[in-house]
Amino acid sequence: MPLNPTLLRELERLLGPQGFLARAEDLMLYENDGSVEAGRPDCIVFPRHKQDVVAIVKLAIRYDTPLVGRGAGTGLSGGALARRGGIVVTFSRMNHILEIDAENLRAVVEPGVVNLDLTRAVESQGLYFAPDPSSQRACTIGGNVSENSGGPHTLAYGVTSNHVTGLELVLPDAEVVRVGGATIETPGYALTRLLVGSEGTFALVTEATVRLLRAPEDVRTLLAIYDRVEDATNTVVELTARGITPAACEMLDGCTLRAVEAYVHAGFPLDSAAVLLIEVEGLREAVEAQSAEIEEICGLCGAREVRRARDSRERDLLWKGRKNAFGAIGRLSPSYYVLDGVIPRTKLTPTLLHIEEVGKRYGFTIGNVFHAGDGNLHPLILFDQRDPAQLPRVVAAAGEIIQFCVEMGGTLTGEHGVGMEKSELMPLMFSDADLDLMRGVRAVFNPAGLLNPDKILPLGKGCGELRVQPLAGAPAPPA
Amino acid sequence: MKQATASVASRCADLVGADHVVTSAADVSACEVDGLLPSAVVRPGSAAEIAEILRLAAAERLAVIPMGGRTKLAVGMPPQRYDLALDLTRMNRILAFDPADLTLGVEPGVRFAQLERELAAQRQFLPLAPAFASRATLGGMIAANADSPLRHAHGSARDQLLGMEFVTGAGVAAKSGARVVKNVTGYDLHQLLAGSLGTLAVITRLNFRTLPLPPEERMFVASFGAPQEALSFCRAIAASPLQPRMVEAFNPATARIFNAARAPADRWSVTVAAAGHRAVVERHERDLARMARELCAPDFAAFDGPEQDAVFAALREFPRLVLEAFPSAAIFRVAVLPGTMPALLADMIAVCERHRLEPAILVRAAGVVYAALLPPAIDAAATGRLAPASRELMQASMGLGARPMIEWCPLALKREVNIWPPPGNDQVLAEKLKRVFDPQAILAPGRFLGGV
Repeated sequence: MPLNPTLLRELERLLGPQGFLARAEDLMLYENDGSVEAGRPDCIVFPRHKQDVVAIVKLAIRYDTPLVGRGAGTGLSGGALARRGGIVVTFSRMNHILEIDAENLRAVVEPGVVNLDLTRAVESQGLYFAPDPSSQRACTIGGNVSENSGGPHTLAYGVTSNHVTGLELVLPDAEVVRVGGATIETPGYALTRLLVGSEGTFALVTEATVRLLRAPEDVRTLLAIYDRVEDATNTVVELTARGITPAACEMLDGCTLRAVEAYVHAGFPLDSAAVLLIEVEGLREAVEAQSAEIEEICGLCGAREVRRARDSRERDLLWKGRKNAFGAIGRLSPSYYVLDGVIPRTKLTPTLLHIEEVGKRYGFTIGNVFHAGDGNLHPLILFDQRDPAQLPRVVAAAGEIIQFCVEMGGTLTGEHGVGMEKSELMPLMFSDADLDLMRGVRAVFNPAGLLNPDKILPLGKGCGELRVQPLAGAPAPPA
Repeated sequence: MKQATASVASRCADLVGADHVVTSAADVSACEVDGLLPSAVVRPGSAAEIAEILRLAAAERLAVIPMGGRTKLAVGMPPQRYDLALDLTRMNRILAFDPADLTLGVEPGVRFAQLERELAAQRQFLPLAPAFASRATLGGMIAANADSPLRHAHGSARDQLLGMEFVTGAGVAAKSGARVVKNVTGYDLHQLLAGSLGTLAVITRLNFRTLPLPPEERMFVASFGAPQEALSFCRAIAASPLQPRMVEAFNPATARIFNAARAPADRWSVTVAAAGHRAVVERHERDLARMARELCAPDFAAFDGPEQDAVFAALREFPRLVLEAFPSAAIFRVAVLPGTMPALLADMIAVCERHRLEPAILVRAAGVVYAALLPPAIDAAATGRLAPASRELMQASMGLGARPMIEWCPLALKREVNIWPPPGNDQVLAEKLKRVFDPQAILAPGRFLGGV
C-alpha cells in the first residue's frame, strides 16, 4: 500500500530535498543490503540530528507507518531492509565524531560514523576502535551497534557489545532515552547490553559512547599454508586446546584463496588446500613467544610452510586478501549465499567435512573463509540468482548446514544477525517459551511493532506456516 | 498466619520433597534479608522444580528471594515483602566442561572455589575473583554483578558469560545466548539478567568461556606518599604498552585492614600483577620499576608465590575484610573514568574528614573506586555520622558525573539513605521489563534501583 501523500509531503518539508528520496529509481538502491534478501521501502529519509529523528518517528506514529534504521547497508541478514515497506531512516548525514577523550579511552559518535573513520581519527594518538568487520571501510558504528558486529579480532577483543558503554536512543514512541554512560558500569539493568545486537528492533540509536583501545606495541602476522584442509582445522583445534589465543585466527580454503589471489595478489599459494592467517599482538616479548609456539604447532599439524609478514605492507596485503574474500568470490560465481553459523572449536573438522558433503549433494561449490579461532564459519554457497530454481535449493542446503551447526552445540549466527534471513530458523535453537519472552521484551521497547517489523522472531508461530522440522534424535538445543 | 505458613511450606514440600523445605528458626534466620525473615526455605533440585515453586508463588503472590552462598544478601534495598527463600545450593553440578573448547556450563549453586579447583586441574580458570570466594556461588556472582581485580585485563563477570537458562517470575523456563564463544542469535536476555539481583528471573544454568592459566605470574607493589602520586603511577601504566592483569591502588587504612606484609600501613600502595611468558613478566618488572623510580616511589617490590597469593586474596576479599573489621561500614562502589579519579578521591577524603570518619579506599584502575566509611563498632556517634556523610558522598560523586551505589551498609543506614542513585530516564523501560519477566512482582520486590 503506498504511503499517504501527506506523510511524504511532511517528511520532505521536514528534511528538505537533500534529505528525502521517494522516486522509484532511488528507492531501488535501498531495497537490498549485503544479503540475498530484498524489501522495497516507500521513502528514504536522512536525518541531520536527534530532533529530526524524533520528528520522523512522530510522523511515522501519526501515519502508522513502519520505520527501519539503516547505516551503510552492508548488513548480511536483511536487518536494514523494509520488509513491510515504509520509511527507511538512513544515518549517513549523522556522521560526526562528537568527542574523543584519549585520556579515558572513550569516543562519542553519531550512528553514521564509518567504523574505520573512528580508528583513523584516533590512530595518531595510538588508539583504535576494536570491532573490525570486513566491511569496516563502509559500515557504520550505528549498524555495528544494531547488529553487534564482530570481525577477525573479536577473538581477542570481543564483539561490539564489549566496546559500547552508553547509548542515546529514540524509542518508537518518540521518547529520547539514555542508557549506560561513559563508565565501565552503571547501576541498574544492563540496558546497553540488551540494546546492542537488538538489530534495530528496539530503538533508533542517535549517539554511542564507545571504548577505544591502545594500539599494541608489536604485531606479527603469520600465514600457515596447508595441503589438506583438515590439517588446518586441526591446527586451530590444537591451538585452542593448548590455550594459545592469538588476536585473530582466520582460515581460507583452496576455493576461496584462489579467487582472492587472482584479485588481490596477497601471496596465497594457488596450489594449497587451505591457509590460516594468524595474528599475534601485544608486548614484543609476548609476540615473540606466542608466534614461536604457533609456528611450532602449525608445523606439528602438517603445515607445509609458515610465513611471516615482513613489514606492514605485506601484513596489509594479507588482510586485504581476507577482508575482500566475499567480493573476490564474484569472480567465481554471479551470486553467493553466506552463512554465519558457530560451532564449538573442537568440532571444526567434522563440520567442514559435512559442509563439503552437503555441497556435493546439492551440486553447489561451497567456499569457506571464516573466523576459525572462535568457530564462526562463513560457508559461501556459490550459485546463480538469475536461475530462479537455484535459490530455494541454496536455502535448503544452508538450512542443513545450520542445522548441523546447532546439532554440534552451536548457533545460527555469530556476527551477521538473524534479521529476515534466519528468523524462521530460530526454533532450531529456541523454544516457544524463549521466543515468547523475547517478543515480550521487544514489546517493552516497540509495542506496536512500528520499528523494523518482522525481523529476528519467526513469523510462522502457531499458524502452520513455515516451520523448521525438529531434528530427529538431536540433542536438546543449547542454552 | 501460622496456618498460612504451614500451608505454603507443605505445598512447597509437595513440589520439591519434604526434605528440601525447612522452616526451623535457625534455617530461616540464616536467610534473613535486611531484618525480614522468610516463612520457609525451599531448596529446589532442578529448573522444573523452580518453575513449579514460582508458579505457586505467583499465584499466591508470595515474595521469593533467590540465593546461593548468601554472601550478598545485604546488597540492595530492603525487600518490600519476603515469604520464601529459594536456596539454590543443591543445584551445584558442573554440567559441561569442554577444556579443548574452553567453555563451561554450570548450575547456579556451584561454588566459585570448587569450580576454580576443577578448572585448575585442566590448567584453566574463569577470570573472576569474587569476595567471599569460598562461599560465593556462580549464580550469585552473576546476579549481583560481582566485581574482581581481574577485571582490568578480562572485563567483568558479564563479559565471561555466553548464555543462561532461567525461570521467570511467571514460572516460565527460558534461555538465551549459547554455549559457544561467539553468538548473536536472539536478544541477549542473559546480559539483562546479569546484575539484576534476582529481580527478573532465577538463574538455572550459566555458560562461560574459560581461559588457560598463564605460565608465570608476578606481583609488584609501589608505594607513594599521597593519593595523587599513586594515581599518577596508574595513569603511567595505562599510557604504557604494558598489559597487566590487574592494577589496584589503596590507602593506608585499607593497607591496615589487609594486614599484608607487602603493603606499608602508612602509605598509598599500587599493586600490579603481570602474567604470561617469563619474558613478558620480566618486561613488566623492568618497566614498572623504572616508572616507579621516575615518580619517586619510596618503595618498589616484586614477589610471587604465597606472598602474591596473600595480597591477591586481600584485594579480592576487600568487602569481607572491611566488614569483619568494621561491621557497620558503608562501602561505596563508584564507577568513574580514570581521569575523574583524582577529583573523586579528593572529594571522598574531604567528606570523610568533615564527618570524622576514616575511609578505606580501593581503586580498581580500570574504572571503579571503592570507599568504605569506617565507624568504629563501639562508637555509636560515629555510626550516626554515616548518614550525612553518605548523602554528601553520593552528591559529590554525582557532581562528578558518576552514578554511585552503596554496595554494603548497615540496615539502619538504608532507612535514611537510598543505596542506589536516582534512576535515569530509562527507568520506565526497567519497570516495563520487570513486568514482562515478573508480572506479579514476586522476585525480590523492592531491592533494586528505583524500587523495582
